[in-house]
Amino acid sequence: MLHIERLKTDIEALSRLAVERQTLREDDVARALRWLAEAPDPATLRERLAPVTSGDHDWPGALPAADAPLTARFTVDGDPPHGTVVIGVDGSQVYPDPHAAVLYYLIQIGGLAFSYDGSRPRPYSCEALHFKDEEVYDAQGYPISNERVGMERLVQEMAYLAALTAIEHRLAPAAPLLALTDGPLLWPYVERSRSDSQAIEAYLDALTEIRQAGGLPVGYVARPGGRALVELLWAAQLAPEDVPGRLAENPLRRLTDAALMAHFLAPGERSAWFTRPSATNHRHAGRGHAVWFCYVNVGAARAPVIARVEAPEWGAQNADVITTLHAVLLHQSQVLNGYPYVLARAHEEALVTTADKAALDSEIQRHLFAQGILVRPSEKAQQKAILGKR
Amino acid sequence: MADTDSVITIGNVLRADIRGFVVASRIPEPDVPTFGTFVRAAIQQQRADLIGLVYNITLQDDPFLKNLAVTVIEDDPRYAEIIRDQQENRAVPVEIAVAAIGYRDEDGYHYGLPPQPPMILHRITVCSKDEVRHITAAPDFMRALFDNRDVPADELIPTALQRAARLRPEALRAEFFLDAGRYLAQYLGRDPVRLERILRRLM
Repeated sequence: MLHIERLKTDIEALSRLAVERQTLREDDVARALRWLAEAPDPATLRERLAPVTSGDHDWPGALPAADAPLTARFTVDGDPPHGTVVIGVDGSQVYPDPHAAVLYYLIQIGGLAFSYDGSRPRPYSCEALHFKDEEVYDAQGYPISNERVGMERLVQEMAYLAALTAIEHRLAPAAPLLALTDGPLLWPYVERSRSDSQAIEAYLDALTEIRQAGGLPVGYVARPGGRALVELLWAAQLAPEDVPGRLAENPLRRLTDAALMAHFLAPGERSAWFTRPSATNHRHAGRGHAVWFCYVNVGAARAPVIARVEAPEWGAQNADVITTLHAVLLHQSQVLNGYPYVLARAHEEALVTTADKAALDSEIQRHLFAQGILVRPSEKAQQKAILGKR
Repeated sequence: MADTDSVITIGNVLRADIRGFVVASRIPEPDVPTFGTFVRAAIQQQRADLIGLVYNITLQDDPFLKNLAVTVIEDDPRYAEIIRDQQENRAVPVEIAVAAIGYRDEDGYHYGLPPQPPMILHRITVCSKDEVRHITAAPDFMRALFDNRDVPADELIPTALQRAARLRPEALRAEFFLDAGRYLAQYLGRDPVRLERILRRLM
């Protein structure tokens, strides 16, 4: 039982801190907007930051990806072109539970293909139950980590997106084809083992398959964290001789890119393209899929909703496709108050509810019982289940 | 629904007692069963099937639809695909209430309350035409409904009788209704107002 009354002082302190942060953030935003206006042109910035952009340095900032000035803001008029197809994919999982009656994990992927031609959207889903020893135990014999399952899910999501792209391309070979996934396109995990390397390679293979099937893979990050652009603006303020020496002294430590963009982008606008000079992005680039990103405001006046949009360089440089993507994201997000409809529906198709999990557990136990095998959750899990019902 | 022979799994049992159960379901709108549909659920570790009638369907609160309701305009072509997705694809979250009328085991069909309710999360399926014909072969299938105060029996009984009659050859329907009428008269003889109300709905 939680004694909320004992947390009263902490809750009050938390509220005061939020007010202080709000005031500080307003000052920080004003300062960052000034830095943005003063920033040198992209070529000068890239040259200045060359010492930290080789991939060996761990500078967390962004680089301007193209020639548009940092202050560029792009708009789009009208609805998405007739016939455009947008596919959304999302996944969910049941993590392996060492206290459950049986050790397994489940990944379910959902998708929705949406054609701008008045036709009925096409829902898709697939699921995979992983239960073999080599799937559920690591090399040391421990149950695999949730992070490993997350990695596997990401690979399966991108592979499924590639399969759906191929299907949809066959249905409409001439249509612009956008393949959206919920989250970053840039591989988000640190590579620590051989199986991690195999996972990122499989992920990059799927990006290649999407390209070969005529689609543009796009990562959509709602409420993005991170401050890569704010770091770039600080770098732009430094004299060339202070790079890299003073890069770590950025005074705008609390400001995120999203907070800045909420004040910079009007509803419907998107920013210029940026890229990250990270080791992971160099890995992507090695396979032809260096990731660029921009910010877009899919909200309304006085209610900005900032999303980060990530696309491979080869797609981000195609102005026609990006104009279509921009129009699609605005239309899709306007319907659901700031979140793309296809991703919301893909999530719904993918979702494994508590009731689904209970039904699956019951079915597995029933089949095992029919084979004469009696399994049960650990004593700890049983006790927790009892307490959880209170 | 019961007029077709396709077997449709509706959903899983959410809560149950001897007199009936409630099913939680997320199925496309065309598959949602109608009032008076005959359904079955496994009981007694799948050694028997409870047979029941759908008597209430509740649409659940759906935050997804709430969001759409304020932005989507029905005749605007900008929303045509979304409206079609919602109407033709999307699973509707519903709770379906079922009243027990009997059960079936290896000895055949039995009328009245079953020995056990279905267990939570067991699946519920629409009865086939043959199953409906068998359970309604004798008017006793109505018995459990008379005393079930949760059920709108005066509406449910005529609907179920008409549904069952349609599955019989036309030449046998009059006799079927006559049998049912005699049974109702015997059972509700002391309540002529209620009897008349049910019989009028059969006409």
